This record gives sequence, C-alpha cells and structure tokens, in this order.
Amino acid sequence: MDHTSTLEQVIRGVLITCVLVFFLFPIFWIVLMSFQTNETILRIPPSIVFEPTLSNYSALITGRLESAAGNLDIAFMKNLWNSFFLSASSVLIALVLGIPAAYAFARFRFRLGEDIAFTLLSFRFAPPLLVLLPLSLYFKQLGLTNTYIGLIWVYQLICLPLILWIVRGYFEDISPDIEHAYRISGNSWLKTFWKIAVPLAKPGIAAAGLLAFIFAWNNFVFALILASADKQPVTVGALAFVTASGIQYGQIAAAIVLSIAPTLALALYAQRYLVEGLSLGAVKG
Amino acid sequence: MYEKEKGLFDAFVAGKLSRRELLAASAKLGISAAAGGMLLTQAQTRAMAAEFDWMAYKGTKLKLLLNKHPYADAMIANLQTFKDMTGMDVTYDVFPEDVYFDKVTAALSSGSSEYDAFMTGAYMTWTYGPAGWIADLNEYIKDPAKTNPTYNWDDVLPGLRASTAWNGVPGGELGSADAKQWCIPWGYELNNLSYNVKMFEKAGVQPPKNLDELVATAAKLTKDLGGPYGVGVRGSRSWATIHPGFLSGYSNFGQKDFSVADGKLTAAMNTAESKAFHKQWVQMIQESGPKNWSTYTWYQVGTDLGAGASAMIFDADILGYFMNGGDNKEKGNIGYAPFAANPKATAPTPNVWIWSLALSNFSGQKDAAWYFMQWASSVEHDLFGARKMDFVNPVRASVWKDEEFRGRIDKSYPGYLNQHDTSAPGAKIYFTAQPLFFDLTTQWAETLQKMVAKELPVDEGLDKLAANVDKQLKDAGLG
Repeated sequence: MDHTSTLEQVIRGVLITCVLVFFLFPIFWIVLMSFQTNETILRIPPSIVFEPTLSNYSALITGRLESAAGNLDIAFMKNLWNSFFLSASSVLIALVLGIPAAYAFARFRFRLGEDIAFTLLSFRFAPPLLVLLPLSLYFKQLGLTNTYIGLIWVYQLICLPLILWIVRGYFEDISPDIEHAYRISGNSWLKTFWKIAVPLAKPGIAAAGLLAFIFAWNNFVFALILASADKQPVTVGALAFVTASGIQYGQIAAAIVLSIAPTLALALYAQRYLVEGLSLGAVKG
Repeated sequence: MYEKEKGLFDAFVAGKLSRRELLAASAKLGISAAAGGMLLTQAQTRAMAAEFDWMAYKGTKLKLLLNKHPYADAMIANLQTFKDMTGMDVTYDVFPEDVYFDKVTAALSSGSSEYDAFMTGAYMTWTYGPAGWIADLNEYIKDPAKTNPTYNWDDVLPGLRASTAWNGVPGGELGSADAKQWCIPWGYELNNLSYNVKMFEKAGVQPPKNLDELVATAAKLTKDLGGPYGVGVRGSRSWATIHPGFLSGYSNFGQKDFSVADGKLTAAMNTAESKAFHKQWVQMIQESGPKNWSTYTWYQVGTDLGAGASAMIFDADILGYFMNGGDNKEKGNIGYAPFAANPKATAPTPNVWIWSLALSNFSGQKDAAWYFMQWASSVEHDLFGARKMDFVNPVRASVWKDEEFRGRIDKSYPGYLNQHDTSAPGAKIYFTAQPLFFDLTTQWAETLQKMVAKELPVDEGLDKLAANVDKQLKDAGLG
C-alpha cells in the first residue's frame, strides 16, 4: 500500500525534474546546436528561437564542410564506421575469450589464478601512452601498424578486463548446485557451461558487453598512435571541426548527436540487463 | 597544338609579361578563365622542369603527415601538379591540430618510417632536431644535384629562414652560420592588431599604436560598447599564451626570456622593464579582457572577434584574416593595424609561428621526399596558394610582390597588407632556443595567470618565476 503523501509526491516530482534538467540540458542544448549555423549559435545572448537547418548533418553525411577557409573534405562517416567496427569486433572477441576465462576464475581454483586475473585487470591501470610507444615498436616489427587487426588486439586492453571481472562476479553469484545437478545427469563440463552457466549469466554478460562497447567507443588514443587517418574512430574525427580558421560548433554538435546515437540506442535497449547485471554481479551472497 | 597560348603563359611565368598584359592577350585569344588557370599551371610545371630532372624518382611513393590546416588544403588542391611533374605518387594522413603533434611525436620517437615528410612548427624542431629525428636540410638546399636551380631559397623571408635554423646549442642564435636548417618555412603568422571597425567607429577610437594606448583604448571600448570586451588575448596555461601578442609586445621593449653568457642561460624575465611591461599587460586583461581569460586559446580569441564579443585582438594576423570571412557574424567588419608596443620603438617586432615542412630521418627515400618539399615550398606553389587559396601568410618575398595576390587581399582585407609590410622586416622568433622551451614557457603562462587572478603581485611573481627557472636550468645543466 502506498503511504506517500501529496506533499511528498510533489517534492519528489520537483527533485526528479531538477535532476533530469541538470543531466539532460547539455544534451538538449547540443541537439539544438546541431540544427543551427555558427552565427546563430554564437549569438549574444544565446536564444532557443532560430531557423533550423540541416546543413550540419548534410555536411557530415556528404563529407563536404564549408568553413571560413573554404570547402574542406571531412571523413566523419568513415570515422563513425571505424568506431563501430573496432568497438563491435573488439567486444565480440573479448566475449569469446573473456566468458570462458571468467567462468574458470569463478569456478576453479588453480595455481597463480588470482595473479593472472589481477594482471588482466592491471591493464586498466596503465596509462595508455606509457604502453603505446613501446607497443608501436612491436607493431612495426610484426607488421600490425595501421591494421584493423592490430587495433582490435590493442582494444582488448579495454574490453577483456571489463568483461572478465564483471562476468566473473556474476558467475560467482550463481549457485554451483544447479551445474552439479546437470553434470550428475551425465552431461559434460562443456555442455554444462553452454546450457546452464552461460544462459544464467546472460544479464551479466550483456551488461559487461555493453560497458565494454561504450569504453571502446570512447577510446581516443590507441588508433591515434597506431593507425593512419583512414582508421581513426569518431573521437578523433570529431576534432576535425576545430580548425585554425574557427570552430565549427554546429558540425561538432551534429557529430556528437550522431556519435552518441549508437551507444545510446544500445544502452536504452539493454538498460534492464545493465542495471540487473551490474547490481547482481556486484553483490556477493 | 595551342603553341601560341602556351607561349603566352610561358612568357608570363618567365616574367616577360605582366599580369595585365597576360589578361589582355588571353582575352584576344579567347581563353576562358578556367582554361587560363590550367595553362598557367602547365606553364609553371614546364618552367620548373626545364633545367632539372624532376622525373628522377618516377614511380616512388611518398607519404606525408599533415595537420588539418588551410596550408595543407592548398597543397592538396595543387598536388596533381607535383605528381604529373615527377611521376611520383603521394599519399597523406591529415590529423586535427589538437592531436597532431602527439601523432608526430609518437611517429618520430618510435622511429617509424611510415612518413617521409611532415608539417611542424619551428619550436618543435628544437626537440626533434637534437634528437636526430629530422634531417638537416642544408645538405639538400645547398646541393645543386638535389635542388632545382629555380628554387631560390633566398627569396624566403630572411627572418623566417633564420628562425627555422638552429645550431642545437642551448641559447645559440637562430640562423647562425653553423646552424642546421631543421625545416623549410611554408606559411606563417605574425602578431598584430585585428579590430572591429564598426565598434571602433561607434566608440570613436582609432587603432592604438603602443601599449599605453592599447590599455586605454581597450578600457574605453569595454566601457562604451556596453557588452563586448575591449581586447582578446590568449590566457590558457600553455606556452601558446606567451608566444603571440604577449612576446611580440615584450620584445618590442628589448626584453628577452633568457640571458646567455659563456654558454649558460639565466632567466631574464624579472628585469625592471619586464616588470613594468607585465604590470601593464596584467592591468589590460583585468580591465578589458574576457571574463574567463585563463581558458582562452587561439580558438576562443578568434571566435569572440568573429562573433562580435570582442572589439579587437592582439594575436596572429591570420586569425583576424579568417574571422573576416566564412559565416562569422562580423565578416567584412574586421580591420588590421601594425602594433609596436614600445612608444619609442621605430617598428613592430612580432614574434612568429611558422608552419614548416620537415624531413624525417627515418624515411627510406629522403631524396625523393626532398623533391616534394622543394616543390611544396616553391615560388610556383606559393603563388598558387596565395592567389587561389587561403595560403596566407606566404613566406616568399616575391609572392608578397605579386599583383594578383595583393589585389585580392587589399580588396577583401583592408589594412592587412600594410600591417604585414610594416611588420615583416622585424618578424622572427624572439624566444631563446633551448630544450626546456615548452616546460619553462608554460610556467611563465602559469605565473601570468596568477598575476591576473591577483594571487601574486607582479614583482614577486616574476622574481619567483626567475628563481624557479634558474633552478631548473641548473638541474638540466643549462644554467
């Protein structure tokens, strides 16, 4: 039975509105900016009344940017594709490698097990630039410089520890008795893993995959150092609108809208799994 | 075929015809503007190829590392000319300026042979050169077998040639006889006033001629305009805050960053004259600068001028140039003026930023890459960029004399030629070349921020800065 008084409901509504305005206003403002020219964006004082234009989006999609310095070619859509390809491939590979590893760390005690798990986690602690310069020398020798394979490999530094540690926590929360019962029925260890453990851990796996995708999507420095301009992700590509001849605020806003759209859509779709997966994985019984 | 037309354009390129004569003769022959442009490019290519084997490296593939900049755009627009002339293939990576030097440093420090030549600033070569990452270009410029006879190196403005050459000795004079030419000037900017003509008319003021007038005019503009602030200068915690207007004004009083004696450096920013200059500069920002000055970089300074949020800037002339076009609100309202901060000085002494081309020592085809560099910095390409693109400021004296270029600038950017011509003789790098340049100059900017924020009195702040700098110089074996 609900005992909330009217006053409490009003206060709660006001507070929720305040929080929403605080967090969503920057995104709302960016969306508005994406439909304006530089001139209207930079009006003093700023105003939300303007004549909307699609020129920013058309510049991004067609790859032609008109600026004070004339027409410039931009490769934003290519950057967007690179981000998607690199993030999705990296997460897929990290899932394939990380889920069995997480299961092994959760269910079995073996020599140096904790040390290995911690070493994998420590990849998240290292400042990327510290790792990248030596890595670029190895990449050169191995012929991996400026290749998607090389980048996807390096992206495992982001994705693999996340997936391994989140999914491991989740596996640990699932009672092993269910698996034991299934094994007693004569099923193999591998079949138990596929038929029992993985389906039960699905929310956790989805949450870890989504988080890893977002982290990979937001990465900036790996491709910058290890690859050429044609393999740069959207995080580097968006900087092309900050030019010596001025900042193209409208195009930056449109680029932000386009670049957050995939992760936002994915996050909204998987929101239920995200909350459930993270909270269950985090609490040990 | 078209022998008469070809002869006409060949004569123009050889300097036997003036532009007016060329236009008149072209009209008589019924040559359209587009066809004329094509014929001119072909004539320039023939002229360059006449006495030099441009095809020596035919089939070679070069790769360049470029910054996203109008200079790179102008080169890319004309690149086919080079490919046709040499039979070489050229690819390039273009990176945004915000991350460009991270990319360059990573490529060079890892010994990558991916890029043959790249864009750089002169200050950066103070690190790249002594580290052995880039080649001394004197070996190429002075070798007639490698450099075409029409290259005319002496045509490059002398201050820029000197500013891109250093002997690698901390405190060594730029452009000294034993200096190595670490890069080739490509396009440059000097620092003067760019101002909003309408706002100046409204407030009834004239462009200031020295620092006293600048402080007073900026204060009057801030007071009278009721919204826009008086003067925009950079203020972020970066070496880039010191190098534009600030150092240009500072040098005009004969002040230096360091004293050099017996090969040792000593901080020189706490002299009485320096303290007086700093006090005026700090006062100017406090009274008439932007509210969040300490975050201001090139972008904010320029954007405010273009959007009508500031009445003038003391920064790169090309920043004012860009803000006079595009979709800026104040497009067409920007004027330009030379500025000598010291009332007793006879001319401005602007510090310069020079976008240059450097040759990677890790390139496996340096001779071929030098072919590209000499073409990209040739009179012909400089003229193409200056006339048809935004390749300003050109680095060659002959291009500054070109009627077509001057006509274009004078028409759309009134006062620009005057500010440049008045200042160019004194335009050069006024910093002392030394390996701690970026760290120490950033500390200078940090001290300036504290002075403007009234956290430190100017005298005390400069004494502390000098003591701190001297200690670091000693620790590094430079002082």
